[in-house]
Amino acid sequence: MTPDRFAELAAAHGGDIGRWPQDLREAARAALAADPHGLGAVLAAEADLDRLLDLAPAQSADAALLGRLLEAAPKPRRSASAWWAGLAAGLGLAVATVAGVAVGVASGAGERLDRRADAILAAAYDQPEPDTAAEALEEATDL
Amino acid sequence: MASEGEDPDLALLEGVGRGEQAAVRRLLDARLPRILALARRLLADPDEAQDVAQETFLRAWKQAPSWRPGQARFDTWLHRVALNLCRDRLRRRRETIMAQPPEVIDAGPTGEGALLGVQIGGRIEAALAALPERQREAILLCHHQGLGNKEAAALLGVSVETLESLLGRGRRAMRAALADLMEAVR
Repeated sequence: MTPDRFAELAAAHGGDIGRWPQDLREAARAALAADPHGLGAVLAAEADLDRLLDLAPAQSADAALLGRLLEAAPKPRRSASAWWAGLAAGLGLAVATVAGVAVGVASGAGERLDRRADAILAAAYDQPEPDTAAEALEEATDL
Repeated sequence: MASEGEDPDLALLEGVGRGEQAAVRRLLDARLPRILALARRLLADPDEAQDVAQETFLRAWKQAPSWRPGQARFDTWLHRVALNLCRDRLRRRRETIMAQPPEVIDAGPTGEGALLGVQIGGRIEAALAALPERQREAILLCHHQGLGNKEAAALLGVSVETLESLLGRGRRAMRAALADLMEAVR
């Protein structure tokens, strides 16, 4: 690496060879070893600018920002056991629902069967089938 | 300077994707200050820097569950998102300034007090803000963020040779703008 190239690289990457592009560092250190006084002064001048640049203001995150980011972060997914527990609860609910519907349907069927029995009895006694429970009660009272 | 091998954030990112709060905290500890510093130095505005950092990480949280190793390193991806958000804000700011010229603030030296830390910081911030956009981004990505030259060049969409030229010109301009402060750091 020539002294001019060394100076170009220092002007771009600063006074610390350890921060230069990795593939150039070895050659740069060899050049510096060959001319420690001249190239050392080049590095020192750039290091002054590096220190000044380091004083550019930064800032730290405030608690409110951290809180918002923690709150918005992905939440834990449910574990397999929790998943199975949820599935079991869902199935239980489904079974209870089906059972409830079945009971309801069965009650309706029973009512229809009762009405059918009434019709058969009415026919047997040659009576018109009562339209409503009230009529049936009225007829029974007449008897 | 960051090496360009395996992504050091990958394990943490996988933890974030699974909703592990410890991983979220560690990733924020490691990366939020860097992104906040980049945004602050690009925008020279603490409130806007917080907004950009927040938006950058909200996008990261969306990406985390489906992050695929082997694409960009996560830190590079964060820098790309933050850089683009800052560019958008600077563009909008320029449009506003063109429509309504702002009050001129003199960031120059003001005597002995100019050497106080906060004023030096203000001078450096003003000098950075006065650089052409690409030179400012090159200095921030390489010097302040410590990105490798290939990584920084890719973020800027230029060759490593062009990056070197941007850095050289940017540093020369900074040296000229801050010449009176150079003694203070020797």
